[in-house]
Amino acid sequence: MRTHLSRLTPNQALGLGALILGLGALLIGNPSGGATATIDARELARIVQTEVDHVKPVELADWIIKGKADFRLIDLRSTEDYAAYHIPGAENVEPTSLMDYGLQRNEKIILYSDGGIHSAQAWFLLKTAGYRGSYILLGGLEGWKDEVLFPHLPASPSREEMATFEQSREVSTFFGGTPRTGTASDQPSATQALPKPEMPSSPAARAAAGPPTRKKKEGC
Amino acid sequence: MSAPFYKFGLFGDNIGLVIAFVIGIGFGFFLERAGFGNARILAAQFYFTDLRVFKVMFTAIVTAMLGLFYLSWIGFMDLALVYATPTFLLPQVIGGLILGFGFVIGGYCPGTSAVSAATGRVDGMIYLVGLITGTFVFGEFFPLVERFYVATPMGRVTIPDILSLPYGLVVFLIALMAVGGFAGATWIEKTVAAKRGAVKP
Repeated sequence: MRTHLSRLTPNQALGLGALILGLGALLIGNPSGGATATIDARELARIVQTEVDHVKPVELADWIIKGKADFRLIDLRSTEDYAAYHIPGAENVEPTSLMDYGLQRNEKIILYSDGGIHSAQAWFLLKTAGYRGSYILLGGLEGWKDEVLFPHLPASPSREEMATFEQSREVSTFFGGTPRTGTASDQPSATQALPKPEMPSSPAARAAAGPPTRKKKEGC
Repeated sequence: MSAPFYKFGLFGDNIGLVIAFVIGIGFGFFLERAGFGNARILAAQFYFTDLRVFKVMFTAIVTAMLGLFYLSWIGFMDLALVYATPTFLLPQVIGGLILGFGFVIGGYCPGTSAVSAATGRVDGMIYLVGLITGTFVFGEFFPLVERFYVATPMGRVTIPDILSLPYGLVVFLIALMAVGGFAGATWIEKTVAAKRGAVKP
């Protein structure tokens, strides 16, 4: 046997190796180990701790402005709240029907609710069901209002803060919000008029949005 | 730690570009080492005198396939997150034919033309200029062909799905096909060489 093996050329040995591995694959059958997803608690904890499961409102705004289509935005609130206002492009799915909604396991799914609790619960639900590309909009819709729709300029801003605010102002206008300056920042955002829940898509609005706040490249 | 690393946020876009650069260099290096910077070697496969393109490509396919299969099996890799180009049957068949014509006429495919140009071959450089011009023209005329471009969409299709066969069986069949293909290719090369030798000593 040994002499037979040693007489093989490297090519033949590699071919034999491929055949053996192929035969192993035949016996294994399914590479993902059946339909049930295994929950790796440590992995989940790591994700939570390193906060890689978050998407910041300004990042999301940037993606929407750029017309990126590689994610699905899920609004977990009630139908009435959704009708009153939602982030452009969001789909309204209540947590009970999340599993039957037809999300794909390889999609990037961004969840948001009013605050962060519902989306965190839905995130865990999705993760355990094997939807690995699930993310939470940081701060939920409140965060979206605070940072994107109604960004506020801190009192006595530094030069840097001014520059950031200028960008936020443009993004805010794009989504139909109103930037807050000076003392107006104390005002709670709920009293501000919410824009109509429509996708701003006119080229003029796009041009007015100016340079996006952060460069995000397309990854496949 | 799980793969794909990018999808799990182990690194961002900028590191991703650096990694893509390194992998690209490696890809080009191995194409060159396989002799794919030379149009004569590439064209020889169409005359059955040198089937190394077939062999190199099949080796790469089988290596990647077995690697992905076993990495997924041990739970390291999530295959569902690996990007697979969506299928648009008709445009891809036509596109494949056009690429094949270009390959036969010019002796290069897009990647190998870059390798050839990098090694200083003038035909490769001209090919590359044509490639870039073609890309530009296509981009400019895209609205005209857009309807055809997205015709017959089938989404993300894999052989196990479409034939409803187990993954393992498909992996085994492809490995078998590759080994058979290597043996067959070597036999064809020898036969053709013998015939040519007999005709033109």
